[in-house]
Amino acid sequence: MCEQADTPASRPALERVRVLGNERIAPGVGILTLHAPRCASEVRPGQFVHLRVAEGRDFILRRPFSVHRAQDGALEILYQVLGSGTRAISLLEREQVLDLVGPLGRGWSAPAGLAHALIVTGGLGAAPLGMLAEELAAAGVAVTVAMGAPTQERLVARGLYEAVARRVVLATDDGSAGERGFVTAPVQRLLAEGSFDQMYVCGPEVMQRLVAGMAKEASVPCQVSLERLMACGIGACLSCVVSTRDGLKRACVEGPVFNAEDVLWDSSEVPPKH
Amino acid sequence: MNLDMSVRFGSLELKNPVVTASGTFASGREFADFVDLQRLGAIVTKGVSLEPWAGNASPRIAETASGMLNSIGLQNPGVEAFIAKDLAWLSEHAPRLPVIVNVSGHSANEYASVIERLERESSVAAYEVNISCPNVDAGGMVFGTSCLGAAEVTAACRKLTTRPLIVKLTPNVTDIVEIARSVEAAGADGVSLINTLLGMSIDAATRRPRLARVVGGLSGPAIKPVALRMVWQVSSALEIPVLGMGGIMTGEDAVEFLLAGATAVAVGTASFVDPTATMRVIDGIAEYCHANNIERVSDLSGALIES
Repeated sequence: MCEQADTPASRPALERVRVLGNERIAPGVGILTLHAPRCASEVRPGQFVHLRVAEGRDFILRRPFSVHRAQDGALEILYQVLGSGTRAISLLEREQVLDLVGPLGRGWSAPAGLAHALIVTGGLGAAPLGMLAEELAAAGVAVTVAMGAPTQERLVARGLYEAVARRVVLATDDGSAGERGFVTAPVQRLLAEGSFDQMYVCGPEVMQRLVAGMAKEASVPCQVSLERLMACGIGACLSCVVSTRDGLKRACVEGPVFNAEDVLWDSSEVPPKH
Repeated sequence: MNLDMSVRFGSLELKNPVVTASGTFASGREFADFVDLQRLGAIVTKGVSLEPWAGNASPRIAETASGMLNSIGLQNPGVEAFIAKDLAWLSEHAPRLPVIVNVSGHSANEYASVIERLERESSVAAYEVNISCPNVDAGGMVFGTSCLGAAEVTAACRKLTTRPLIVKLTPNVTDIVEIARSVEAAGADGVSLINTLLGMSIDAATRRPRLARVVGGLSGPAIKPVALRMVWQVSSALEIPVLGMGGIMTGEDAVEFLLAGATAVAVGTASFVDPTATMRVIDGIAEYCHANNIERVSDLSGALIES
C-alpha cells in the first residue's frame, strides 16, 4: 500500500546506474529502463529521481524524472524530448553508466479505507501514476482512470492502466482514441456518476488546476503532482517553490505531490522544457 | 608524507580550505544524507535577514552554457527562525563544524541588526556579509557596487563584533580592487569573491525572458576565468585573506584558486550537480598535493609562477 503522508520517506542516495534499455514508444516519447537496485527497492509511488546526463556536455544540471515503475532492481522512466537534457537521454544506449540521486520528494498517499480512486492523467502525466495504480489495484482498491493526450499514440502507459484499472476512459485532442477533446469532460461525467473517495492527478498544470476545481466541487480529496524547474532536487537551492496556503513549499522535498486544496494556482507558471 | 590540509583564514582555523558557497548548501541539513558535514573546512549558510524574505517570482533559474542563472532573491525565514531551526540543528548534528553565517539586509542598519542578534549565539564562528546579491532591489549589490556603500555596511557590522568579518564582493563593478580596498579599510577581516555575474536568458520561441525577474546571477564553470582573474587581482592588492569561488567543480579547480592567491575556497553550483562535490574537492586537493610533493596546503596560496 502507499505510504501515509506522515510516514518518513526513504533517504536518498547517489547511485551509479546502468542503462538496461531505451525505447521510443511514441513520437518524441521514450521509456528508459535503469538498473538501480537501491533506488528501485526504496522508491514510493510519485517520487522522482534526479538524473545526471550532463557529463561532458555544455549543460551541467541534473534532470528530474518521476519514476513510472520499479521492480526487480529496475526503474522505468518515461520521458518526452523537449530540450537538451531529454535529447541526451534519448541517445543513451544499453550498458551506459550514469548516476542518479534518489528517491526524492514526497509521493502519493492513500487515506485509510480507500475504496475507489480516480486517476486522471494528461500526456506524460501518465508517468508518475503508474506505480500508484499498480499498488492500489494490488491492495484491492477499485481504480478508475481518465487519460488524455493529443493523439492515440501519445496515450503513454495505456496498457498498464488497462491491465490494473476497473475502467479506463480516454480522450484525445484529435479523436483518434476515446472521445475528442480534453480529459476534463469525461472527468466531469465520472465525478457526477461515481463515488470516489480520492483523486490523483498529473498532467499539464492548467489541466491539474481545472480537475482540482472539479474535485473540490464534488468534495473529493485530490492530490496533484507539480513540475518545476529545479537545480539541486534536495531542498537547498529554492528554485522549485510552489505557492501554497501555508507559504512557499519546495516541490522537490515537500512535493512534488501536494494536496490540491493547499495549492495557490498561478496561471503564469511556464512548464519547464528540459 | 604527512599532508597538512589546515589553513588559517585570518583568525579562523580551518581543517582544510574547502567551505560551502552561501545559498548552495542551505544550512547543511539537506546534504547530511550525502556528505560528512564535519569534513568541511566550514559551512557558509544561506543568507539570513532580520525579517523573513519571500524571494522572487518563478521561474527562478535558467540553465546556460556551462552554468546557470538564478534569481532566488534571498528567500529565507529570518534570523530568529534561522537560530531556532538551522543553527540549533547544526549545533546538534555537526558540533565541530565552524559555522559562518551569511548576513543580508536592505540597509546598513538591517545588516547590523542581524549581527547584533547572532552575537548572542555561541555557535557562530564568523560572518560573511553579503553586499553582492544581484537579485534584490534594495541592499545586496547596491552596497557592493560603490566604495562608500561597501565601507558603510562593513563599518556598521565591524562595530558590533570581534568575530571574523568576511565581506562578499560582487564582480559586477568596474574595479573590484578598489571596492576590496575600501572594505579592508573599513575593518573587514577577509573578502570572499566572486558572487554571481549579472546575466540574462531569453527563450526565442516564446520571446520571453527565462527568469521571472528577467535578470539573474550567473554561476558555474562558465564564470571561473573571471573569478580567477579577480581573486588574483584582489589577493595581490590586499593584506587580508581571500575566500575564492566561482565555478569550482573539482580539486584541480580549487588548487587554481589557491595558486591565484585565495587562502580558502568555496564550492557552490557544483553541490547542485553533485551533492558530494565538496568531499570530492577536498579529496582532489589532497591528491594534487601528494602528486606534487606539497606538505602544507597553505603553501599553495599565491604560489602562481608568473615569470
